[in-house]
Amino acid sequence: MMNPVNEAHRLHLLHSVLCAVNLGAIVLDNERRVVLWNSWMIKHSGLGHDKVIGADFFTVCPGLRGGRMEAAIQQALYNNFPSLLSQTLNKAPFVLHASPVTAARNERIQQAVEVTPIAVEGAPRHCLIQINDVSIAVGREKLLREQAMVLRSQTFADGLTGIANRRHFDVAMEKEHRRAKRGGTPLSLLMIDIDHFKAYNDHYGHQKGDQCLIQVAAALAGMLKRPCDLMARYGGEEFAMVLPETDVEQATVMAEAIRARAQELAIPHERNNGELPQITVSIGIATQKVDTAVEIETLIGAADRALYLAKRNGRNRIESMLPA
Amino acid sequence: MTPAKTVLIVDDSRVSRMMARQYIAGLHADWIVEEAGTGEESLVKARATPPDLILMDVNMPGMGGIAAAEQLRQEFPAVPISLLTANVQTATRERAAQLGIGFMEKPITEARIAQLLAALEAA
Amino acid sequence: MFSLSELETDALIEIFNIGVGQAAASMSAIVNETVRMSVPSVSFINRTDAARLLDGKAPEAGAICGVSQHYEGAFSTEAILMFPEDKSLEIVRLMVGESVPLKELTEMEQEAMCEIGNIILNSCVGTLANIFQRELHGSLPEYHIGTSDEILIASGSRHDTVVLMLHIDFVLEKHQIHGYVAFVLDISALHDLKEQINLYIARAMGQA
Repeated sequence: MMNPVNEAHRLHLLHSVLCAVNLGAIVLDNERRVVLWNSWMIKHSGLGHDKVIGADFFTVCPGLRGGRMEAAIQQALYNNFPSLLSQTLNKAPFVLHASPVTAARNERIQQAVEVTPIAVEGAPRHCLIQINDVSIAVGREKLLREQAMVLRSQTFADGLTGIANRRHFDVAMEKEHRRAKRGGTPLSLLMIDIDHFKAYNDHYGHQKGDQCLIQVAAALAGMLKRPCDLMARYGGEEFAMVLPETDVEQATVMAEAIRARAQELAIPHERNNGELPQITVSIGIATQKVDTAVEIETLIGAADRALYLAKRNGRNRIESMLPA
Repeated sequence: MTPAKTVLIVDDSRVSRMMARQYIAGLHADWIVEEAGTGEESLVKARATPPDLILMDVNMPGMGGIAAAEQLRQEFPAVPISLLTANVQTATRERAAQLGIGFMEKPITEARIAQLLAALEAA
Repeated sequence: MFSLSELETDALIEIFNIGVGQAAASMSAIVNETVRMSVPSVSFINRTDAARLLDGKAPEAGAICGVSQHYEGAFSTEAILMFPEDKSLEIVRLMVGESVPLKELTEMEQEAMCEIGNIILNSCVGTLANIFQRELHGSLPEYHIGTSDEILIASGSRHDTVVLMLHIDFVLEKHQIHGYVAFVLDISALHDLKEQINLYIARAMGQA
């Protein structure tokens, strides 16, 4: 039988423990109002008790309404089931920052969340939300993936030019296509083809032909600005460039820069069919706009048609097509 | 007192059809309830006895609920159709909106049926 | 061997379809794609046969990935979501959106698989509990990898324990994946289940 002094002492002890634990603890009552918000939460959310205690959870965290978090809270309060929100499927659901510095950069703590029902004497079921900072683990995994990517790039490299090969292009295309759909960003594809390359090969020989490809590939790949951009050897004398988060205007600017750069190389080509006596490229551009998702094949098809148009219109030029 | 109507309930689950029939009878004992177990069967039944309301389960083998609903929409443009599904996603909502039909969340409850019928009466 | 009538089976399948339908809606919200899940059939088999059913799809040892949760209260059961390992990898890759091919599920991907199991199992059991108007308490998900027999043994069942097997069809982005949810139930729980299904049907027929 607990006497009042021990009871008060125990409560004080538990309260201190809750303030000291290195994880976020939130408790909601049956009406989804916040009844507990520990020190870790105050520290990393910047919201004190005055702002949250007694308030509806979804008023405090409006971004979580209608999503996995709400479903988990329902499961806990009404079905008595706990839920797990993995950090891979739920990217940092709560607005939590490690420090004012990262807060200014809008960088959130990586979170693993658990929602558990808890019984409260004399009251309907409550639920406990636990938030763990898993930023270190996430960082480590990211590093491992990058290292694995480097290793894998050795089998993703084109034997001759050293740039990405067709397989790498296919994998990257699928990834960026999905990412563009989820992130609601535009995705551009450039199909770049060396003009009259067969004639070059026939006239100068295959060794010079290979050297030409190596030179052009290196020069063009050197123009990539961001890690997510990819330049790959698509076919014999055809290259493909994947430009995520790039709209039509930006893609056009890039394509023109590439066309100019190729010309700038000034690789002599006497058999360029009466055009400039040097190596030039034709480029087809296709852009998947925001909110108008198309299949990958459709995007490639449009870029191909644009390339064909560039060839037909005289070569050493860029054209673009809308994917239908 | 609304005149007796005919409701066509389409669901591959017999228990589901029974429940819908039960709830409708509870609200309007004089209404006629026709049943179909597949999309194909629903077309046959609808043509034989034109319904005033169609409840269509989405998740059925063969010709699914949406394909059947599209067909019925064409043949009976004035008949309200309600898709029944436990899986209400954006794609479903958009498709339903495109076809000009509503949807009802599963499980089928007396309250949901009552709500649907009330909404139709108001329309 | 425990069995249900055609009508009872119909009711059970419909209940589980509602459950996985809701799970699909949750998963769809995560990936922003259409996700479809359905339970085309259920069966009651003993553990040995259950293991054989799963192994038939992936005969190599250590080739099944399982997520289990324990439920207690009105009745007690171990629920296990199982996919052949390569399919689990596929599901997680599709849900996470990564196309980097790694040989084994990383720790983070295992956690993602746990969440997927958590969503699907809670939906199935939740619907069951609601419709049967029973109170249950669930545990957090646990990840297992091994042969189907190893995973089923881990649930504490005996070789003659009856397993309620749900066949699950999972469709995301034109990928169609077939998996299973196994409910390990003891005799009293099975009879309880049968009784509850009949009460449910009686209510449906307006007799209760």
